[in-house]
Amino acid sequence: MFDFLIHVSIMASLYAVLALSLNLQLGIAGLVNFGQILLFGAGAYGAAFAFSNQLGLAAGIGAGLALAVCVGLLFARLGRGLGGDYWGIATLAVAEACRMLLQTGGDLTGGAQGISGLPPLFEAGSRQDAALMTLGVCLAFLAAVYWLCRSLTHSRYGLSLKILREEPQLAVSLGYNPNALRTQVLVLSSMIAAVGGVIFAHYISFVGPDQIVAAETFLIWAMVIVGGVGNHFGVILGAVLMQFLFAFVPFAKDLLDMPSDYVAAMRLALVGGGLLIFLLWRPQGLVRERIGGGHRGG
Amino acid sequence: MLQFFVDVILRTVDLALIAVALSCVYSLIRFPNIALVQYATAGALIALGLQTLGLPLYLAIVLSCVITGLMAVVLSVLIFEKLLDTSPPLAMVGSLAVSMIFTAVFLVTVGPRPKRFDLEIMAPVRWAGVSITPMQLVSVGLTMGAILLFALLLFRTGLGRSMRATSTNRVLAEATGIPTRKVINGVIVLSGILAALGGISISLKGEMGAQLGFDLLLPIFAAAILGGLGNALGAALGAFTIALAETFVTNVNFGWVVSQDFYFLPASFATIVSFGLLVLILLFRPHGLLVSEVKRV
Repeated sequence: MFDFLIHVSIMASLYAVLALSLNLQLGIAGLVNFGQILLFGAGAYGAAFAFSNQLGLAAGIGAGLALAVCVGLLFARLGRGLGGDYWGIATLAVAEACRMLLQTGGDLTGGAQGISGLPPLFEAGSRQDAALMTLGVCLAFLAAVYWLCRSLTHSRYGLSLKILREEPQLAVSLGYNPNALRTQVLVLSSMIAAVGGVIFAHYISFVGPDQIVAAETFLIWAMVIVGGVGNHFGVILGAVLMQFLFAFVPFAKDLLDMPSDYVAAMRLALVGGGLLIFLLWRPQGLVRERIGGGHRGG
Repeated sequence: MLQFFVDVILRTVDLALIAVALSCVYSLIRFPNIALVQYATAGALIALGLQTLGLPLYLAIVLSCVITGLMAVVLSVLIFEKLLDTSPPLAMVGSLAVSMIFTAVFLVTVGPRPKRFDLEIMAPVRWAGVSITPMQLVSVGLTMGAILLFALLLFRTGLGRSMRATSTNRVLAEATGIPTRKVINGVIVLSGILAALGGISISLKGEMGAQLGFDLLLPIFAAAILGGLGNALGAALGAFTIALAETFVTNVNFGWVVSQDFYFLPASFATIVSFGLLVLILLFRPHGLLVSEVKRV
């Protein structure tokens, strides 16, 4: 049971990083990215490619970051001249097309079986010690990302992103270049998500196309919407909440004595229902965004 | 060669009706409703349910279309219009959430295994090297009939004129006495009916399941965007183009590329091509092949 809790905590902190990365795009810059999981996948596959070419962790991080930056730049290029809704569809299409390419990629990507056998981050005495150390790394990374996002949001740069989100034409008239700003945000959040992907790949020691299905993106969306769009702390709260609810679903199934087919249905209903309830009745989320100068809090 | 065109037509039929429905709703309320692909699945599953209750198939289809149409307007009034008032991109996320709940309901009520209509098994018709099953013919006839009727409604009736007026300029239409509220709700019922027919026509030829909707999502968006989102009949043309590209990629012998006698791409490349095509369209012709509109800021 304790091992399981550590596992859920590790996953919660990795997904919290992904949610923070999406929040930077959606909450601060107003970008509707439906391909978020691909950025995470870029990191994971970067680590896996480095591993299958007998290279170490540093090379894996490098490859992951490079792949993710490429995807981020492609997203940014697509974003020029496209309205928000079109762009959402475009990013979803890119993410799904890449997933299918990875699935049919043959020896290079391992196809549907993916690449397995990645070494764990720590070679500790017991599995539990190694898992605890991994959890420590994940929490430290999450704290660093949180600090980065917060100081970015409270800087002049963050304010310029918010102007772009609220009044694009005003931002242009003040001399901001919307394409450049969006590209910078996308590249930065891609890199954050990619590092999460590298840690994930070494923790699970397996990378495959099933890990980057569109449903994962929608889960991250639910974390951001439930937690509170634009509020970094709220988003972490949303991620932890959703991840623990997800982990609880199989137990609920046993308690209520339901067939195992229902697990997938309950998770879908949880994500869809969470999104819908909050969008309709509490669009600001659990913790609302601090409006104004906001040099304190949130 | 003839078989190739038959395959293209069959795939077009899969996509056309739902793409037309998507485009039609977008033209009126600027809202790309992801849940439309689930209305298609729902339409097929409701028709199947009614058939198992003992209704004749044609009656089950008609009733299922009516139910799906009403469901579409109820969801639109209760959920989507509320969200559209706050923020259009978030309304799209809302329609995604509704789609997920639909899938969950399908999984619980119907189960994860695909289902089929209870149909007599009939031998395929063979003619000039082409083989086609009678149900495929029915499905093509159903789709073409529905699109024809829709076009007649749009261009030959008063309701169609009101629809076109509302989509061009809602405020002006309202000022000239068109009941835009009723027109919009009418169009949403129509989109539900079209989507249900689309789902039924797919299931008549093969299977239906909880995943049907999500598998259709991106090809349908590709078709609708290619036709110029908001141009309803353009969407049918877009569906044909997507079908052509998908069928071409999976049916052409690429042996000369890899210097072998035969090399056919796996079937999953059909999907990759339609997604890739969608990305290319959005990069270079974001408003579709037919329109030359000024870009939005």
